[in-house]
Amino acid sequence: MQTSAAPGRLGAVLRGDPAAPWRHLDWPLLGAALSIAGLSCLMVFSATRTSMAEAGLDPYTYLKRQAAFLGIGLVVAAVVVSLDYRTYRDIAPGVYLGCLALLVLVLTPLGTEVNSAQSWFEVGSFQLQPAELTKVAVVVVLAAIGATSRSTLNRQRFLVCGAVAGVPAALVLRQPDMGSTLVLMAIFLGVVVVAGARPRHLAVLAAVGVLGVWAMFHFDQVDDYQRDRLTDFARSGSGATTSSGFQAEQAETAIGAGGLFGAGLYEGTQTKLGFVPEQQTDFIFTVVGEELGFAGSATLLVLYGVIVWRIWRTARLSRDTFGTLVCAGVLAMILFQVFENMGMSMGIMPITGLPLPLLSYGGSSMITTWIALGLVLDVHMRRFS
Amino acid sequence: MTADTPRLRLGIVAVVAVSLFAALFARLWFLQVLTAGEHELAAERNQRRVVPLPAPRGRILDRDGEILVGNRASNVVTVNRAELNTLDDDEQDVVFRRLGAIVDRPPSMLEATLNDTTLGPFTPVPVIEDVDEEVLIEVRERQAELPGVEARQLAVRAYPHGSLAAHVLGYVGAINSEELEAAGGPDAPGGYRRASRIGKDGIERAFEDDLRGVDGEVVLEVDAHNVPLRELSRREPIQGDDVVLSIDLEAQQAAEQALAEGMSQSQRSVDPDTGQPVIFGGSTVVLDIKEGTVAAMASWPTFDPAEFVYEITPEQFAALTDPAKGTPFVNRAVLGQYAPGSTWKLVTALAGLEAGLIDPEVKIYDPGVYTIPDCSSRCGRQNAGRASYEDVDLRKALTVSSDTYFYDIGARFWQQRARLGDRAMQDMAARLGFGERTGVGLPVEASGRLASPAVRAAQYEANPEAFLSGDWFIGDNVNVAIGQGDLAVTPIQLANAYATFATGGTRYEPNLALRVQKQDGTLVREIEPRVATRVELPAAAGAPILDGLIGATQSEDPRGTAFNAFAGFPHEQFPVAGKTGTAQTGGDRRDDALFAAFAPARDPRYAVSVVMERAGFGSTWAAPVARSVLGSLSGLEVPERVAPVAGGSRA
Repeated sequence: MQTSAAPGRLGAVLRGDPAAPWRHLDWPLLGAALSIAGLSCLMVFSATRTSMAEAGLDPYTYLKRQAAFLGIGLVVAAVVVSLDYRTYRDIAPGVYLGCLALLVLVLTPLGTEVNSAQSWFEVGSFQLQPAELTKVAVVVVLAAIGATSRSTLNRQRFLVCGAVAGVPAALVLRQPDMGSTLVLMAIFLGVVVVAGARPRHLAVLAAVGVLGVWAMFHFDQVDDYQRDRLTDFARSGSGATTSSGFQAEQAETAIGAGGLFGAGLYEGTQTKLGFVPEQQTDFIFTVVGEELGFAGSATLLVLYGVIVWRIWRTARLSRDTFGTLVCAGVLAMILFQVFENMGMSMGIMPITGLPLPLLSYGGSSMITTWIALGLVLDVHMRRFS
Repeated sequence: MTADTPRLRLGIVAVVAVSLFAALFARLWFLQVLTAGEHELAAERNQRRVVPLPAPRGRILDRDGEILVGNRASNVVTVNRAELNTLDDDEQDVVFRRLGAIVDRPPSMLEATLNDTTLGPFTPVPVIEDVDEEVLIEVRERQAELPGVEARQLAVRAYPHGSLAAHVLGYVGAINSEELEAAGGPDAPGGYRRASRIGKDGIERAFEDDLRGVDGEVVLEVDAHNVPLRELSRREPIQGDDVVLSIDLEAQQAAEQALAEGMSQSQRSVDPDTGQPVIFGGSTVVLDIKEGTVAAMASWPTFDPAEFVYEITPEQFAALTDPAKGTPFVNRAVLGQYAPGSTWKLVTALAGLEAGLIDPEVKIYDPGVYTIPDCSSRCGRQNAGRASYEDVDLRKALTVSSDTYFYDIGARFWQQRARLGDRAMQDMAARLGFGERTGVGLPVEASGRLASPAVRAAQYEANPEAFLSGDWFIGDNVNVAIGQGDLAVTPIQLANAYATFATGGTRYEPNLALRVQKQDGTLVREIEPRVATRVELPAAAGAPILDGLIGATQSEDPRGTAFNAFAGFPHEQFPVAGKTGTAQTGGDRRDDALFAAFAPARDPRYAVSVVMERAGFGSTWAAPVARSVLGSLSGLEVPERVAPVAGGSRA
């Protein structure tokens, strides 16, 4: 196309240019994401209203804040979408380095420790989790590197990719935030596989990974609570004695108790009476399971399926490899988080502190997810332009 | 390949994604469709806590409704050891320090209380009782800091009359595993829980099913920290029914007081090993002959049932069962077994009359000494103090308690055993209820002992080392005739035998209770008199025996053995037919003093027995106690008796 920038685009809009980006908005993706985010406000409210009311606080506090986060997330997504995604290839390295700086800073006394992980910055009444933003930055940087050639990923670029994901992963692990570390590894895998990593490299990576895990346990580099989580998982159902075992058991009970149609909104006793810890954040799925039952949970699962499907489809439709790889990274990020989070709530995965994208309470996660989805929408919209 | 490669690789991603979603879906299906039921149950259990509300026990009343055992509310702090033991030592110390600060006791003391091994591990141990309401509230408020500690209000037993009738009433304690098992285990519907309390002895145990009531429960909704949020349901406990005893408060008080006075005056024994005084016991039983019930039952020394209101300490229990302290715990009225001495002469007289060995009108000469016929060794017997009573008929023999008269009967029973059988006296005793439990309805009762040639032969057969011989000699019969030898009776048997004679042959299984009723007095059930048997007594036996027994308390010449003890007694309005007994206890030991009687003699209402271990003469010690008890029963003005003086008649 030879048309000049602004007037041309406006003109195209007015003339009904079939290539105009806004005409190619991925409505199913947006619709599914908005549905889940809307449900999130309700579920977060249900999970927190009783305990807030008991504490004499406004029961709507979490609802209001989650709605605000969703609003911010949508605005940020709109901003992301308004610019051509290829622009981000250029600013990504700067954002990435900024994230690394924040990840280092959060380990200093400037960061705040919550639940024995130093993962947050206190900004007024809000908490910023730099690990969340880092995920998106890593997606874009890895995609940029992977897209430099249309052929397979040679060893050099494979190693660079490994470093790009590995450095923040190592910093996040220091907090310690095992969940985010695993997400970064999943993103890395998603991008390099689609980018054409050689099976030989992947095999070596797998071997190193196995050796690394063995070494961590062997040299006692694993905290007790992490070990508990893993072993409790392996022993699930045998009468939990540790706190993480209790968590897993109660979460499973809550979901199972929902049955086909659930106890009804606000009616879940496991939820109301606080049997599931961290319920508005990491264990939000148990609220859906208990109160909305199989009908609600399966619907939620379908919505996530729609999201993943649309991201996958966008990856295939993308006009360039960069777009494909961005989508692959976002897909890996969301897919891994959904599987790990729901899996741990249902007792088929070990417990790690990971939010369920769009559903868990928390600004950093909500906004980051919308940035990621914004990127995908961006790729989808501009596949003809 | 290059152009299609990214698509192909995305295919791999699709496969992975579909697999993961399939796994999540399958698990969701499993949890929410296939196994939803058990999770629902688990969630239900999670949020419900069932707190039992123990039912207050029914009360125990005397025959006129006077409360003998009631209830009162007590605030106690208990510790659940099973829960406490989930903490490590340091954490336990912290709990004890906190609790100690609240209840103002040294933590070590509270900890020591927990070492009580008489309670099951799941029974909450009361570490401190009767605390103030404020303590109760503070413990509840700080529940989260005090795992295993519980503050609650208990309905505990109250004894308005102190130790009165302690042995009859029994006591209540924490259920033990055997009792729990016997009641069908902890999960039996309407059964007992591990923390339940149960009647352990006496009426509390005999009427457990009436007294215990029906426990209630509160179902609470609790949150994840076990903090109660609201009450889901409540079933109020139903108090147990009251048991109305046949015991008469005044008669019981009179019996206990007379016995206690008599016993403390008679205590002179010193343990030869330690030089310490040794306490011997005694008992008195009053039966209501017309009703077939127990009007009073006293055993001395006694104990304070309030000691059992919570848990008794091993030291307390040891003291209650210490022979040096007179084993106060033992109810001698039903468990004490004694040689009956001359009180037995009623049996010998009846047997002799029936066998035709006695003609009431025929006098025999009593020189004070007696030589057993057909005898090879140790054949001499004598009256107490070798007193000669000269010409003695049956009446006089009972009045003055002539041993010689009855030795002769015993000897003749043996000589004529071919015609009469070798256990004619024992058979008469059995008819009067000796040798078997009276069936008074207390949880434990001794049956006494009735030796006979067959019994002795069997004993020898079973254990030849323990006996010199399995043979029965004429001397044995002579001994049995005056209530010595191989005989043992309980105080209640003795009273019941005299009651049986007094009724002309109707023997009751004495009841201790008249009825069971609700708190408002509505009848639940009447307890009917139980006739054990109607025995044949020799016709025309009544008059001479009755005369002889009345003479024992009234006759000045010849002097009745209890004449002194009953001096000044209103014989006209309330004549007493009685018999003293002084039973040898072997070796140089002092004799047991006994007295058995019924009154009014010609229209008998009460039968009384008194047994005082190692007190001495029955006439000196036991008869005066009976006089006090009978005096009170008569409802008449009875002058104070003269204090016992040493000496008196042996028989």
